[in-house]
Amino acid sequence: MTDLESRALLPAGLRDILSPDAEREAEVVHRLMSFFGDHGYLRVKPPLLEFEESLLSGSGTAVAHQTFRMMDPVSQRMLAVRPDMTLQVARIATSRLRSAERPLRLSYAGQVLRVKGSQLRPERQFGQAGLELIGSEAPMADAEVVVLVARALAWLGVREVSVDLTLPTLVPAVLADHGVQADGALREALDHKDAAAVVQLAGTAAGTLEALIAGAGPAERAFEILDGLPLSPAAATERDRLAAIVSLIRGAAPELVITIDPVENRNFEYHCGPSFTLFSRGVPAELGRGGRYLVAGREPATGATLFMDTVLGALPAASARERVYVPLGTPTSVSDRLRSAGWVTVAGLEMATDHLREAVRQGCSSFVTPEGVVRSTTERK
Amino acid sequence: MMPPFREYIVANDDKLVIALPKGRILKEAMPLVNAAGIEAEPAFADPDARQLRFATNHPHIQIIRVRSFDVATFVAFGAAHLGIAGNDVLMEFDYPEIYAPLDLGIGKCRLAVAEPVDMVESDNPETWSHISIATKYPEITRRHFAARGVQAECIKLNGAMELAPVLGLCRRIVDLVSTGSTLRANGLVEVEHIADISSRLVVNRTALKTRPEEMSGWIERFREARDGA
Repeated sequence: MTDLESRALLPAGLRDILSPDAEREAEVVHRLMSFFGDHGYLRVKPPLLEFEESLLSGSGTAVAHQTFRMMDPVSQRMLAVRPDMTLQVARIATSRLRSAERPLRLSYAGQVLRVKGSQLRPERQFGQAGLELIGSEAPMADAEVVVLVARALAWLGVREVSVDLTLPTLVPAVLADHGVQADGALREALDHKDAAAVVQLAGTAAGTLEALIAGAGPAERAFEILDGLPLSPAAATERDRLAAIVSLIRGAAPELVITIDPVENRNFEYHCGPSFTLFSRGVPAELGRGGRYLVAGREPATGATLFMDTVLGALPAASARERVYVPLGTPTSVSDRLRSAGWVTVAGLEMATDHLREAVRQGCSSFVTPEGVVRSTTERK
Repeated sequence: MMPPFREYIVANDDKLVIALPKGRILKEAMPLVNAAGIEAEPAFADPDARQLRFATNHPHIQIIRVRSFDVATFVAFGAAHLGIAGNDVLMEFDYPEIYAPLDLGIGKCRLAVAEPVDMVESDNPETWSHISIATKYPEITRRHFAARGVQAECIKLNGAMELAPVLGLCRRIVDLVSTGSTLRANGLVEVEHIADISSRLVVNRTALKTRPEEMSGWIERFREARDGA
């Protein structure tokens, strides 16, 4: 390996993003932020690093294992690089914006860093864009968040968006009713919907859990099963709340495919109410997720985060804009006119003898002559 | 031009790929696949066929025949939507993207620790802090022993595990056992049970979420096929 090659190697899960994808990411994030802004969400921008104890306290313990840490030579305290932005926005809501009127609608976009990528998304650094709706317990708040992000994705051009709703509190409630301990093996079996293993491990809760696993699927069928289950009053209230949210979403976005997965729990560790994952048919990874949580352990909030790497992968490929070669000596007014007509101008830095060849070499589909713009003969590859 | 941001193969939405494991389990699995209403083209039954993908009586359904560990990988990444895999494979990989909603009750055996007969009497597992062990399942083995405070150094083999103690590669093995005759023939004895194994119908998580009716439909048909068998 030469020196140059060894310097090109990046750590696992990190990458250089080139043109046109880098422009496209910026453009898509900008469009998302204006979409959320148009719906009353105010953009905030938290820093990359925070004190470990404030970032990872409370709800943050759920993402502690995903967090890079370092020692701050100035304060001599441990710092954490954000693995997720929701926690930071929640902190802003309870500190600097504690006196702002509720409900508080905030949006954000930025890069996050994680210790380990997942199987489908090996990226350790990726962009998040999202929104948080803080201070309302109304089912309409849950519905607003789901509908907004699903609509935003469709508006960007993601095809066949579907949302999978879950109740992270349901399985713990069922287990508590039956006095069954939720140990690691049972949780793992539930995560894999391994009905056979669940039946072995869940004691008297087996019947209900088996029905919940079978209930995963289209919303209507899931509710048929959920409505027939002997749930404790607390669990039944949660179920009814989910039903209310589904009907609000149906009302606002009838085109959206809604599925229910009553046992999904992975990565919803800090959620305490209806939560969801966004998918698009044919795209293997999740586009985003969100749901209900408590800010500082007491204030109700719900929100959604989109994973920009997956979202960009789900969009039609970026097309590069047409470039025109402007030889040295062309008046500025000419290239100004071309740019306002939508061209990308590429200026010659030295006198070239063959403008056509120079245009082709620089990836330009056309070049400027005193008589006007002439197409270079090559077709773009 | 520049490489794309991330290549997803989004085209051909309606295709459905079923991954089946080569070998032992396939014979038991095919009657269930057929009972669920899926018939493979004749070449599938020919073990010498070079073909890797096979058409079925459903124009949009294809069957692929791969190694059992690869069934899990194809399904986990969504390259196959449905598959049949033993829970030994699922436990070894622990892929979060695989759901195993149905125990097909085929390919039954157990995962066990075995060691040479002459070692059993002198061996006291309570005193172990570190053991070395030959296995096809390094992850399961490490986890199993770590849970009781023993560090297992695994030597990964892909087959013929029984040779390891015989030839002195290491003294213990973790392997699938069905009748125990291979162990006996090699002077080994089963000393510890790790898990009961059977084959599951596995489904890719995203496929179940984005094609819910279709996937639930197939799970139901396999359930009926199993219960009818």
